[in-house]
Amino acid sequence: MNFNMAMFCRAGGVAVFFLAATGGPAQQLPAGHARDFTSESYFEPPHEQQVKMKLTGAEASPLPGGLLDVKQLRLETFSLDGKPEMVVRAPQCFYAPLDGVANSSGQLELQSADGKFTVEGEGFLWRQNISSLTISNRVRTLIDRSASPGFML
Amino acid sequence: MKIMILMLAAGWCSLAPAQTNTPSPSNPPTNAPAGNAQQAPPAEINSDAADFDLNLHQAVYRGHVRVLDTQVKLTCDWMVVELPTAGGRLNHVLADTNVVVDFTDAKGQTNHVTAARAVYDYQVEGLVTNETVTFTGNPVAETADYIILSEPLIWDRAQNTFHLKNESIKPRHSSNSVGGTNASPALFLK
Repeated sequence: MNFNMAMFCRAGGVAVFFLAATGGPAQQLPAGHARDFTSESYFEPPHEQQVKMKLTGAEASPLPGGLLDVKQLRLETFSLDGKPEMVVRAPQCFYAPLDGVANSSGQLELQSADGKFTVEGEGFLWRQNISSLTISNRVRTLIDRSASPGFML
Repeated sequence: MKIMILMLAAGWCSLAPAQTNTPSPSNPPTNAPAGNAQQAPPAEINSDAADFDLNLHQAVYRGHVRVLDTQVKLTCDWMVVELPTAGGRLNHVLADTNVVVDFTDAKGQTNHVTAARAVYDYQVEGLVTNETVTFTGNPVAETADYIILSEPLIWDRAQNTFHLKNESIKPRHSSNSVGGTNASPALFLK
């Protein structure tokens, strides 16, 4: 998959731009503890102005290796028409912004925008470039009856 | 090869006219368990692990997959679910490997189905609703009265009919089996 994804990161009130695509300009990361940071990725051309995914955190602390220790992770995905699709929440995760990878051994909750579909589990790996979320343990999904009058049967 | 249609209007055991599709009103009919859908508890899927592809809107559940519904219990080794978009509903589910389904029919009788694979498909085309569950891989359905073997075993949920092929139907309380042209017309229609 073509990973031509521009990300916009705001940390500690200071805007820091960086490109995750290979060959992009020099990359900068927040130097210290930050609050309310946001990272956005966009659809591929010709919809490059449309936000595809927004990752936010209440706090982010830098770690060795370019990692961020993110508290109160919130990951939102959007459709091409700008409507929200899914929201993922986790109390804590490690985020590698240059790789677009987040992981945690802790709890995670995913919910569709219409609330009909919720998932919770323990331990996850989020791969931003392919919009893939793996939940490692104790996955529990609830599907609202209006989306599943009778599950299969 | 003729496909045998086992007509099971109420659960598994009574007759109904043979149809394959039905005109659909504004709310496509299904044979979901009776009751207020809004008040029923949600369907639940539990598994050891899962992969969600948010581009494809697809979930793959892996390891000890268990589906709990009000009248259905399903277990399998892995399951693929096409996630509904906003406002949509489930329209494709694949349960694979060691599929075991237990469900209670309209008569309150427990039924048991085993197969290697079960595929649920829901489609509305114009005014026609197609909703099927296709069991393949040596499907065996055990009802209160019969043991049914068919490859494949297709349940047309919109019509509540079973489509059987290369079938063998054995009464549970007799060693005699019925199948092919010897089958009782009271049980199924060709």
